[in-house]
Parts: sequence; structure tokens; C-alpha cells
Amino acid sequence: MSENKEPGMAYSMPKLHKVMAILSFIFFVTTVWMFLDDYIKPWKAIQIEALQIKRQHTEDALKAARKDIDAKKLAELNSSLAKGEEIVISRKKDIEKTEKELKVVQTKMKAQTIENGVFNGDVSAVNFQYETAVANHDHKLIEKKLEELTKLKAGFDIGKDNLKALQAQEKEISAKLLELYKEVVTSQKEIKDITMKVTLLEAAKATTDFNPIFALRNMPFLDYLDPTIKIQQLVINNVTDDRYFRQVPKVDRCTTCHTFIDQPGYEKEKQPFRTHPKLDLMVGLESKHPMKVTGCTACHGGEGQRVTDFASVAHTPDSPKQEQEWVKKYGWKAPHHIASPMFSRSQTEAGCVKCHSGVELIPGATVLNEGRMAIEKNGCYACHKIEGWGENKRKPGPSLLKIAGKVDKEWFKSWVWEPKSFNKHAKMPAFFRQSNNSKPEFVRLNVTEVNAIAEYVWDKSKPYAATETFRPGNAENGKKIISEVGCLGCHGVDGLEDQSNKVKAYAGPWLSGLGSKVQPDWLVTWLKKPNHYQEDTIMPSLRLTDGEANDIATYLLSLRNKSFEDLKFAKFDLKARDELLTDYLSAFDTQASAAAKVAKMNDREKTLDLGKRSIGKYGCFSCHNIEGFDGFAPIGPELTKEGSKPLTQFFFGIQHQVPHARDGWITAHLQNPRMWDIGIDKVFRDLNRMPNFYMNEAEAKKITVALLGQTSDVVPLAGRKRYSAGEALYNDAMKVAGKYNCMGCHQIDGLRGDILRSYADDINQGPPRLVGQGHRVQTDWLYHFLQSPTPIRPWLSIRMPTFNLSTEEKNKIVAGFQQGSKQPTFEEPQQVVQWEPGEREGAVKLWNAYNCVSCHSIGFTKDTPLAPDLHKAAKRLRPSWIKLWITNPQNILPGTTMPSFFGDDGKTPIEPGVFGGDAEKQINALTKYVLEFGL
Amino acid sequence: MLREFVNTLSDPIISFPAITIAFYLMLKHYKIVGTKKFAYWTTAILIPVTVWFLADPNFFSIIKTPDNIPIIILLVLVGFFTWFWLYKAAENDTRIEAGLGPIEATPEEREKVWTWPNLVYTELFAMIACTAFLVVWAIIFKAPLEESANPTWAPNPAKAPWYFLGLQEMLVYFDPWMAGVVLPGLIVGGLIAVPYIDTNPKGNGYYTFKERKMAITAFLYGWLVLWVYLIIVGVFLRGPNWTFYGPFEFWDFHKVVASFNVNLSEIIWIKMLGVGLPKNLVLREIFGIILSLAYIIVIPPWFAKATKAGRKLFLSLGATRYHIFMFLVLMMTSLPIKMILRWLFSLKYIVALPEWELNL
Repeated sequence: MSENKEPGMAYSMPKLHKVMAILSFIFFVTTVWMFLDDYIKPWKAIQIEALQIKRQHTEDALKAARKDIDAKKLAELNSSLAKGEEIVISRKKDIEKTEKELKVVQTKMKAQTIENGVFNGDVSAVNFQYETAVANHDHKLIEKKLEELTKLKAGFDIGKDNLKALQAQEKEISAKLLELYKEVVTSQKEIKDITMKVTLLEAAKATTDFNPIFALRNMPFLDYLDPTIKIQQLVINNVTDDRYFRQVPKVDRCTTCHTFIDQPGYEKEKQPFRTHPKLDLMVGLESKHPMKVTGCTACHGGEGQRVTDFASVAHTPDSPKQEQEWVKKYGWKAPHHIASPMFSRSQTEAGCVKCHSGVELIPGATVLNEGRMAIEKNGCYACHKIEGWGENKRKPGPSLLKIAGKVDKEWFKSWVWEPKSFNKHAKMPAFFRQSNNSKPEFVRLNVTEVNAIAEYVWDKSKPYAATETFRPGNAENGKKIISEVGCLGCHGVDGLEDQSNKVKAYAGPWLSGLGSKVQPDWLVTWLKKPNHYQEDTIMPSLRLTDGEANDIATYLLSLRNKSFEDLKFAKFDLKARDELLTDYLSAFDTQASAAAKVAKMNDREKTLDLGKRSIGKYGCFSCHNIEGFDGFAPIGPELTKEGSKPLTQFFFGIQHQVPHARDGWITAHLQNPRMWDIGIDKVFRDLNRMPNFYMNEAEAKKITVALLGQTSDVVPLAGRKRYSAGEALYNDAMKVAGKYNCMGCHQIDGLRGDILRSYADDINQGPPRLVGQGHRVQTDWLYHFLQSPTPIRPWLSIRMPTFNLSTEEKNKIVAGFQQGSKQPTFEEPQQVVQWEPGEREGAVKLWNAYNCVSCHSIGFTKDTPLAPDLHKAAKRLRPSWIKLWITNPQNILPGTTMPSFFGDDGKTPIEPGVFGGDAEKQINALTKYVLEFGL
Repeated sequence: MLREFVNTLSDPIISFPAITIAFYLMLKHYKIVGTKKFAYWTTAILIPVTVWFLADPNFFSIIKTPDNIPIIILLVLVGFFTWFWLYKAAENDTRIEAGLGPIEATPEEREKVWTWPNLVYTELFAMIACTAFLVVWAIIFKAPLEESANPTWAPNPAKAPWYFLGLQEMLVYFDPWMAGVVLPGLIVGGLIAVPYIDTNPKGNGYYTFKERKMAITAFLYGWLVLWVYLIIVGVFLRGPNWTFYGPFEFWDFHKVVASFNVNLSEIIWIKMLGVGLPKNLVLREIFGIILSLAYIIVIPPWFAKATKAGRKLFLSLGATRYHIFMFLVLMMTSLPIKMILRWLFSLKYIVALPEWELNL
């Protein structure tokens, strides 16, 4: 190589050294780079920013605290402190002497403590030797050790006694010393009381200082010792992560960046420094879900252990706009390799489900509840099993067991073909005329199926004879009755759109075009006695008179759908019928032999067979009672664990515009379930059968939230909401209330009360809100009231209907309401009211002073009553509730017309002249007076 | 259009024979391949082609996966060193033909130097450079973090480490017992046996092809075509469900490839003879068994007796070495044979004895 090469060398040495120098430098740079790469983490910058924010907040608080200090008083105290110090100085000699005495005593105490300690050890050791000797029956040793032990114990006793004497001495001298310092100590204490907050805040501020100690503790290499900038984590033992074959406690490191999530006062900071928006319910120390117990990802989902960067924890944007913002701001990427990404903000309530199972509506989970109500309305649960809350529910559609007595077959076929063309509010979804079955060859087969279904249903329909006869009445009056008696709690009605749209009732169908649909006699009978036609209907009787029923029927029959009436359904194509049957039979047979089998059947057999198969195929029996389908399993896939279904198991077809995520698929599917078949070549029998509900996006999104919550996550028993016996009974009661749509009218403990929305101007004209109903009314009364309601508030036009409740259901409501209000079944039975001397006179005075009869007029005056009959109160209400009610009615029912006579605190009567203004005595007396009427 | 053409070309059915032919041409014309001019031209053509490949989003997304970076490095290095060997060998062979002897034998190349610092110092350089390179690599390409392992839910495609992808690719054609145990065992055993089989003293300490034609051809075919090529296929061209995807093809999870494979016994008994499968297992598989045994037992003696090359080989190696060598070569060639049979006849197994866990 080069000329300065030495012998025996392949390379020149200086050149090699140069290479070595360059390589060493590169190596040094990469090493430094490696350490920096390890040290510089995004969350550290966030914590430093958090520290600055905290400092700013502390400074603000400090400013406010300093302002709060009364300067004048502080100056006064300081001057009295100075004075006190002067006085104390004058006692200098005494103080010095006393302090010396104290020191002597304390020295002696220390010496005595040491001596006692030695004695203690010796006694224990010799005691052991003595006991060993006893156990070994070594008599000589026993004697020797006993002697020794006795001596030591005596010495120990004397030592302990000495110590007690010294302690007494110390106490005495200390008290003396304190007395000498008295003036100073008192002033100091007062000053401290005033300035404490400032001192504490100053200490807090000092923790946010960026000083050399901060730098040292967080220095690279040294930051393993005791850093202040560090990963924060919560270990949640009660909620676990499924690590396959092993459940591991959740580890949430979210608080590493969400630094103030549990601290009030940071509500206005930008993310991630903002306080949790629902601190009273979540995360807060006093809330039901404190941070240390519930953590973060238990509800929100996502990867709680990761702090690498924003995207790695699987934050999920709530909208495309937010997504763009995140991409720009944080470099957000769609999560890959994450089985369950975080719920987006509007879907967070899905996280409630895994711990709160077995309950219909979860208080506070608005979106989730609305989603479940939408599932209830659309009857999804009928075809899809949803374990935990969707089972054992009634069939959402009407029974078809006696359908021939209700509607016309021609109407039935047209309705099945396209329900929305008859009634745009129809809840019955559309099976036909969809994107995947509108080809002429499919339409031909669909028409045949509908014809066969109708034939089957009519063939199985039992004879039905109406018990009432329709007599045309006053349609206008009928309309008025409908709007007033409470029909709108369950039904929307044509002609009453304003009210109906406010209430948004969904338990019953929207009543439209009835004149083109039902037989008049059937309608009157149905109105008068619904369970005559369908035994298990939830439609109650409103105890209508014949006149009322006929008026209503007249109005409803006046609603017609002319264009629908003119429809003629296509004729039954017998060839298509045979083709379809052959196709069914050829599933396990050859075409030829299937065709031969079909040919052997007679006409009726063929039609009924195809009818039954078609009903089974479309799952009509899931929603409607149809004969011949007892024990058939619902046709939809189970949705109990839909929220954990792997994304690869969702079929997106060629619908690339649908977001490739669980929620995206569910929302799109709900809006148009047949879209996945688009562009896919399928034979008739394989077509997607999920019917189209023509759902809007908002509703679909709500249902999506409810379904996303149905995960397979296993939450340990300790982490789940476990219902006490009482809470379980209350849940059962609410399930019954849900079944009969009680909450279509009544608001129960703050939930729903749909019809109240149409009583916005005077809530007291609507059905009574039920708050703590189990406490309000007596057990027996409630049971009998459910059985046969009697009017309590005669001035209301809305009526409590008579429901067709079973004994079990009534008992469930009664017991559940009691448990919901934490009340015993019976209160102390009161046969006679026991008056204290002079109490009744006081009660009468109050009765008159508060002018109770001005509203509670029934049985007292001829005035129109504005409040319930108090003569019935004793049998209806619980005495303890009456007291509570009188004390402050607004507390129980905000907006009630019942006045508060005892102020907001329930302790200041507006009539101070009676019982010396003692509110409690007044309330007791009034309660007794009310009870007296009824007993 | 061109992309679709490349996609089609990449399918092993075409690319495997193509690569075999290319391999043959490379060795046949190694004196042309082993020139700097050839290298420059190849590089000049490959650079725009690579850029064109990289411009495709589907190809780029496969390439940029952190797991796949070592394979790209491997490809570049394999390409370079193969050419470098050819270049050196061509140079030496030309000299040897001219009676000059290899370059390594010239007096100036035979001079001896000190181990320290010439060797040890430079080894230290290599260590430092290598460590620095690995550190930078680790910083830039983070270890990919996936979901927690779920034994009931395997990732799709489930791929072996890149260096085993050749073996995994063999699973397409062989029973796991063969592809996973027997053949890898033979590869290791065969490589260990090489020094004992190879009696050719030439080519020691210098580059040459001419003097070791057979040894080099056999080794390079196993290495370049049956190992590296299969790794490339396994890494870049096998997607979800181990389905073939062209380099420019999107890895669509739902891609379906038609394949219905049939055993040799079924082809013969049912399709050709039109009778049912015999109950007796040995009888049922008798054709496959005879063929397999013939392949292993008949070919070596026939080759030694009937061909000139075989006779020469037999004489130079001796009976034992010859038979071991032939056995190893036959096992190696069984892979391409099986691949071709699969493509031509949709052949599943030559001998299908799942009852005995023996499928060939």
C-alpha cells in the first residue's frame, strides 16, 4: 500500500489510528444518541408543562389566600406577640432555671429507660431458661433460675416505678415552662391559624420549583433513584386484562399525561391537563368510581399500559374532524394490532355495561340508555339474543294467532311487502324491495313467499268474534279523548302529530290509516278489552265507556290510506312456489328427487309448507306469535359479545366507504343491512335477510354504543356492580315497568316519563312523577291500585289504565318499589291516632292557617279539587312519607303545586304562632290530623 | 399493466423456473457476469427499476415493515458477494487457463504480516462499526409491538422469523414432518458432511469456478435458489392465509386462490384405472412407494453406470462418498421436483400415508 509501510505490516499504522479515531467518534455519537433517545419521551414534556400549570394555579390560589388574610388583625397579633416576647424576656431567669431542671429530669429518664431495657431483656431470657428447666424437670436448675428471675423481676418493677415518677416530674416542669411562655405561645398560635393556608400553598409552590435539586433528580443516569418526572400508574385489582389463560390486574398509566384528571380546578385547561368532566360520578375521590378503584381503561378501553406516544394507546377520535386535528397535532394513526381500541368520546358509556350487567337502564348513562330504548323500540332483541338485559322480553310485534279476525288478507300481503308504504311510522322493518333482492327474478320469488306466508298465517288463524259492535260516533270528540286520556304515552297518532312528536312514544304502533286496515267491530272490542283479542298484550284497558270507545274508533277509522287500499297484491305464482320448495328440499337431496317429492304433495300442503319455511326463513315468528313455531330459536346471531367480535369476522363486502372498525360496521349495518350484498353474486337463498329499519344515523349510533358495550371482558366479581337483594328486586320491578311501558307516562325516579314532554307548560297536569314511590304509598294500596286503579286526582284528564298484570308482576312492582326506596313492607299499623294534650287543637289551627282545603277540597268544600282527596290518604300514604312531603314537597317533586310551609330547610314554619314555631311538632300534628280522616 | 405483468411473473410457477434458468445462465456465462462492466450495467438498470418498485404503495408498505429490513440488506449483500465471487473466479480462471496461476498465488500476495495489528486491530474496527450500526438501526426502527399473544387467535399471515421463511415456504409442498424435520435435518447433516465428501484439493485459498464446477453449482443452487429465493417468496410474496400476492398486489384478506390437490394414489387408482382405492394401505400407495424408492435407490447406480459424468464422479469419490453425495443431491432436488409436480398435476402427496404419519 503506501510507502511508509513497515515490514510485516499490511497497513500503515497512522492510517489505522485515524480509522480508529473516526470509528470511536461515531461510536461515541451513537451511544449519546441512544441515551438521549431513551431519555427524551413525549410524556416528560407533558409532565413539565403540567408542573408549570400547577405552579400557575398555586400562585393564583396563593394570591387569593393572601388577599383573604385580614391585615389589620395580623398586625394586631404581631404587636401582641412582640409585647408577649417582652414579658417573657423579663422572666428570663426563671425560664433558664426551669429549662435546666427539665434537662436534668430528661437525662435521668433516658438513663432509666436504658436500665429498664436491660432488665426487660434479662427477665425474658432468664424466664426462658427457667421454663426450659421446668420442662426438663431439672430441679436444681429450677431453683437457681427461679431465684435469679425473682431478683430480676423485682429490679424491673422498681425501674418501671422510677420511670413513672420521672415522667410525672417532667410533665409538671413542662407545664411550668409553658406557663412562663404563655403570652408568646398564644399569639403564635393565632397567627398560625390565619396564615396556615398561605404557608401550605407556599410549600406546594415550592414543589414546582425548577431548582438544582429538580435537575439532579431528573438527570439522565441518576433518574432511576428518585425522579419527580416519572410514569404514574394505577393498578386496578378488581378489573383485569385478559392475557389468555390468565387474568392480570389492569395497569393504567393514563395519569402520566392526564395529570390533573382527578383534581378539581383544572376544568378549563387544554387536554391532557383537563379535569374529568364528571368528577362527581367518575374518578373523583368521593364519587362512586374513584380513580384508584376503577382506573381509566376499565371504562374507556384502550391500552392503559402504553405511554410511548399518543397513538400507541389507541385513542379513538370522535369525528373525522377530530381525526384530522389529531393527525396534525399528535401524528395520530389508526390503531393496529389492538383488539379493543378506546371508545370514542361519544361512545364511552359502552364501558358501563361490562360491570353493570342485568339492569335495564343505567342511571347517568344517557346515550347507552337511549340506545337500549331504541333496541327495545325496534325489537332487535327478538331475533338477536342479548344476554344480561335483553332476554325474557315480550315479542315486539302483535300476535298473529287470530289475525284473520282483525285485518284483510290482501291488506296483510301489501303490508308485509312494504310496511312503510302504508304507514311511514311503521316499526315493522322492510324485508322486500331492498338493494339485494330487487332483481326481477328475486322479486318474483319474494312475491311468492309473501303469498305463501299469508296463506299459512290465515290457515292457522283461529276464529275470532268481536264482542262489541261499532256504532259511529263523534270523531272530533274521539280525537280529543285520544289526546287526553293517555293513548299518546304509547302511540303516536295521525292528526295529533305535534303532541306525538313531542312524546316520541314507541311501545305501541303509530296509529295511521286504521280505516283501511282493521274491521270496525274489532277496533271497538280491542279498545274496550284488549286482552280479548290477544291474551298477552301489553295494551291496557283505559276503562272507556261505550261512547268513548266508539268516538275513538270513529276517529281512528276516519284515518285512511286510499292509495294503499287500491293496491292489489300479485297473484300466487304456483310455479315459483314449486321452484322454491324444490330448492328447499334439495338441500340434502338431488334436484330431481326434490322435484319428485314436491310433485307428490297436494296443493295445500305445498302452499303451507312454503309458508312455514318462509316464516322460518325471515324469522317472522321471532316478533309475532304464529302457530307452529313453539320452541323455534330466534334467527339472528347472538349479540351478547358483539363488542369483542374480532374485526376480521365482520363482512364488509366491497363497501369501502364504511370505516373499517366495529362501530363503523354496526352503524352502517343498522342503516342499511343489505348493503353488504351489493356487488356480490349470490343465489336467492343466500341473500342477507336482516330487514331494513330505515334507521337514521343518530339512532344507529346510539344502538352502536349499546352493542359495543356487549364485550366478552371478564370482570372479577369484586369489580362488578353487585346488586343487593333489594336492588335486584328494584331491577325486577323496573323490568316489569319497562315491559308495560309505565315510563311512557310516569317518570320513575328520574327516568323517562315520555308523555310529560307534552305537558311542558304545566307538569302537574301530566301523570304523577313517581319518586320514591315505595316510600310514598302503602303496600296493600299499591297492589290493589295496580289491579283496579281508582282516580286519585280527579282533575286530571289522563287516566291510569288497567293493565293486564299477573300477580307475580304486581308483586314485583310492589316489592321492588319498596326496596328501591329502602322501605319495609309495612309501617307501624296505625288504628287510632294518639294525640298529645293540646296537639289536636294546634293541628286544627294549622289546618286552617295553611288553608289545606283550598286545594284538597274533596269532602270539605264544593270547590273543584286541585289536590288529592285527603280522606284516602291514611289508607294510601305512609305516615313517614306524609311528614317528609309536608316538610318540603319541592324536594320530592320539583314544580309541584303543593306549597312549602316550612321554608327550604323544613325548619322555619310560616306560622310561628303554633307550638312555639316548632316545625317538627307542627308537621307531626298535621300528619296525625290527615291520618285521622281516613282511619 | 406492466405491474400486472410483474405480478404474474412473480408467481412461483413462473418465477421458480425463471430463476433456475437465470441461475444456469449465470454459471454458464460466468465470465461475462463476472466483469465490472456487467456489474455497472446491472446496477444502472436496477436502480430505476427499484425506484419504480418503491413508488408502488403496496410494495412500499411491505418493504418498510421493520421486520423486512434485514432481508433487504441480505438481498443486496447476497447479490454483491455472488457477483464479487464470480468476478474473482473469472479473473483467476482466465489466468489459470493462460498458465499464470491464481492471483492469490503471486509472490506479493503470499507475503506474511503480523496478526497484531493487521488482524486484531481491524477486527476491533469491525466490531465497533457493527455495534454503532446496530444501535442506530435499533433507534430508527423500533421493535414492532403487536397485540398480546393469543394462542387461540393466531395472526394472519403467521410468519416464521425471516431466516426460516424458506423452510416455511417448503410447507406449501411438503408434509410438516418432511419440511419441518427431515429436510432441515438433512441440510444441517449435509453441510457437516461436505468436507468429508469433497475430495477435490483444488480451489484452496483462491477463487475459482472452473476447478470446482460441480461442488459450487450444487451448493449455490441450494443456497441461492432453494434458500434465498424461497425466503424472498416467503417474505414479500406470501400474504394472509399464505396466499401468493404479487409485489404490487394489495394484501386483501379475502383473496381466494383455487387449489384442490390430489394424492398420487387417487390419480392412479381412481382417475386412471377407474377403480376404488384398495383397502390395504401399502397396496393403495404402492405406486408412490415404488417411485420414491426408485428415485432414491435406482438413480445413483444407474447414474454411475450409464453416464460418463456419473462414472467419473463414482471413480473420483469412491462408492461410499458417491452414494452419500447422491443421496443428499437427490433430497435437495426433491424440492423442485415436488414443486413442479404440484403445479403441473395439483399433486398433493406422492405417498400419502397419514395413518402412519408418513406423507411424501
